[in-house]
This record gives sequence, structure tokens and C-alpha cells, in this order.
Amino acid sequence: MPDVLTELPPGAEAGAALAALGDSGELTRLYGSEPDGTLDPVVLRGLLGDAHARLRPGVVLSLLVHLASAAPLLAEHGRTATGLVALAATDTNSGSDLTALSTAVEIGPDTVVLDGAKRWVTSATTAGHALVLARHRPGRHFTNFTWVLVPLNAPGVTVRASDTTMFAGSGVGHVDFSSVSLGRSALVGRPGRALAVFARHMAVERLGSAAWAIELCRKAIADTARALELRTVGDEPLRHAPLVRHRLAECAVRVSALHGLWTTSCRRIAVDRDTTAAAVLKAASSAVVDRVLGECAHLQGADGFASGGVQQLRAEAAVFGIGGGTTEVVLGNVADRLDVVLNGLAS
Amino acid sequence: MDARFTGMLKPFLPHLNDRPITPDISLRQYGLDSMQAIELMFAVEDTFGVELTDELLTDETFGSAGALWEAVQSLTGVRTAS
Repeated sequence: MPDVLTELPPGAEAGAALAALGDSGELTRLYGSEPDGTLDPVVLRGLLGDAHARLRPGVVLSLLVHLASAAPLLAEHGRTATGLVALAATDTNSGSDLTALSTAVEIGPDTVVLDGAKRWVTSATTAGHALVLARHRPGRHFTNFTWVLVPLNAPGVTVRASDTTMFAGSGVGHVDFSSVSLGRSALVGRPGRALAVFARHMAVERLGSAAWAIELCRKAIADTARALELRTVGDEPLRHAPLVRHRLAECAVRVSALHGLWTTSCRRIAVDRDTTAAAVLKAASSAVVDRVLGECAHLQGADGFASGGVQQLRAEAAVFGIGGGTTEVVLGNVADRLDVVLNGLAS
Repeated sequence: MDARFTGMLKPFLPHLNDRPITPDISLRQYGLDSMQAIELMFAVEDTFGVELTDELLTDETFGSAGALWEAVQSLTGVRTAS
């Protein structure tokens, strides 16, 4: 695959990366010539790997959300993403408990009116539109929610960058909606199906997230090995010390296992929309990232604390256990389907 | 309720054990959580080749086996004894 992202400067934003992918035909390879909401998981993995090699982690995060969930969700409903689209699901207080969110949409004959607030929205400050998950009636049942496509410059929309030094380039921010009035064409999909649609697209985003996790860990291990080759204890490179060799090897084994799980489950998730398989993969990837980056950070010693070093990456990578569903939430999904998971492992 | 319906429904009710599926049983009581309710909706649509209408996308439709079966019947026109 031609790495079109190598033409971009390392500080490029997600919008520029997305435009480059579109111009080069990579998005057609990803979604096909007639996008219907599905994608090729192997192409997605390649694109995210290229992005991780070239761009800042925050930009990769932004691309992940757009490529794996926002754009496919729109395509499933016959809509085309024009430029970068944010996915605004998490409310101010309810967090991962989406059925408790309070952002509300009032659906009238000709217009819809949106009120509420979303927090920690990836691409909030860099996207042109946000897909907003809102409730059209009270109650926690999954049929009470609707997607609304909101131009982020519409009257009544206020976007503020989140107060953080992490995730540079992600455009993460908070978005308030105050009596935002839009035409009914702002509704995406039928009222009542938003959470159902979201669950399926979130499964694919988790697949993409795990692909990024593999690439991130692979590069971190390689970088660590390289750094320790240059540091000596006595006359020997630290890289050759038995304890270091074993710890790097253990990291490689963990990433290899994750790669194996990704490979065997990618079609089930991307094609069959197997949300349980996606939950297993998400839980596994966050655990592997946590362990591998912890080891790499420790092995790199004080050098890891340099600006942009592995310690910062490790802190940012905690998002693998929080964004797109916390580890506790996805483990809950696995627990609900424990028999199915175990039966799937039977020989 | 026909066998195709109860066969489709049973995997979503892990606490049912050997109890038969009757119209009055509460789906939530026998293990249908929010996430699984979504999967059940897709299973209904795939199994019976229908799409639940806006009016049927309610908490009540997924409240009991009988309510869900009624929804399926209303979409397929199938009428069998419960």
C-alpha cells in the first residue's frame, strides 16, 4: 500500500491527513466505491499503522474515530462525510453509561432542536460537523436515542478545547448545545435506532483501536530495544542483558497474542458486527498496551521522561482503557456472554 | 409463539434455565440487558426479515416475550396461537 501520509509534515492535522487519504483513493479502498457503512478491516489497520508511524497520537485518535465509526455510520444512512466528523456520545455526567445521557433533541415536523452538553469529544475543535447522540424521549431503554448531525458552527453551538496537555492534534474539546435549531435532515437514521447502530459501529472502532494498539506497542518495543542497544553496562549493551532480553521478549509475545486475536476476529467484527468479539478484543488490547508501555517506560529509565518520550505516550495510551468504552464496561459485555466466549474457544 | 421465535429468543435469556418461554415472562428478569436487547432487535429483524417500525421501538415491545411476539406478528402478519 502506498503510504500517502509520508508526504505530510509530522505536525499535520487530521483534516489534512483525511484529505490526503481521499485524494489518493485510500478511502475508496477502505469503504469501496459505493460506501454502505462497512469497511475493509485490513485496509483500516494499514491506514492506522501508517498514521501512527507518521503523525501525532492525537491525530491518529482523531482519524480512528472518523474512519472507523463516524464516516461509516453516516454512510450506512446514505450520507457522505464532508471533511472531518466528530462523534459526540459522552455526556457531561453520565460517561460510559450512555443510556443515562441527558442531551435531548426535540423532533418537530420540520425542525429539530438540540440542547445539552458533551465532554471530551475527539475532533471537537477540528471537525466541521459532529454526530451527536441525543435522547428524543425520557428513559434508559435503548430505543430512546437518535443521531443528529450538527454543524459545529451552527448558532447555539459552543466548542471549547479541553484543558489538557495531552493528545496534541486530537482537537479534543467540550461542546455545548443551546437551543440549536436544525432542519429535520439533521437526523441521521430513524429515531430510536441510534444506540443499536452505535453498538455495531463501536465494535468496528474497537477493532481499529486494537489495530492501533498493536502498532503502537510494536513501535514502542522496537524503540526501546534500539535505545538500550546504545546504552552500555560494563562493556555490554544493556539490550543484551538477560533480564532486559526476557522483558522485551515478553512484551513481543503479548503483542503477538493480540495480533493473533485481531487476525482471527477481524472479519467477525467488521463483517458480522460481532459486538462480543469486539469487547474481548478491546479488553485484551487495553491490557496489552498498559503492560507493554509500562515495561518500555521502565526499561528506558529517566530518558523516558523527555518531552514526547515514552512516559508521555504511556499516559496518553491510558485512553485505550477509557475511550470507546471503559475496560470495566467491555468486561461487563464479556461477562454477559461468558458462555458464548467460552464455547467459541472449545476445540 | 412459534418455535422459530422462541428458539431465537432463548439465547438472550441466560437466567431462564429449563423454564419454558411463555408470553408473560419478563425479558429483563430472565437476563436481557440493554446491550443484549440491541442484539435481540437485530436478531428479530434478521430472523423474520422485518424492520421494527418507529411505533414498535419502545421499552414495552421488549418488556415481555408476548409483547415482542405481538410486534413480530404485526409486521409479518403471521397469526399463530400463543
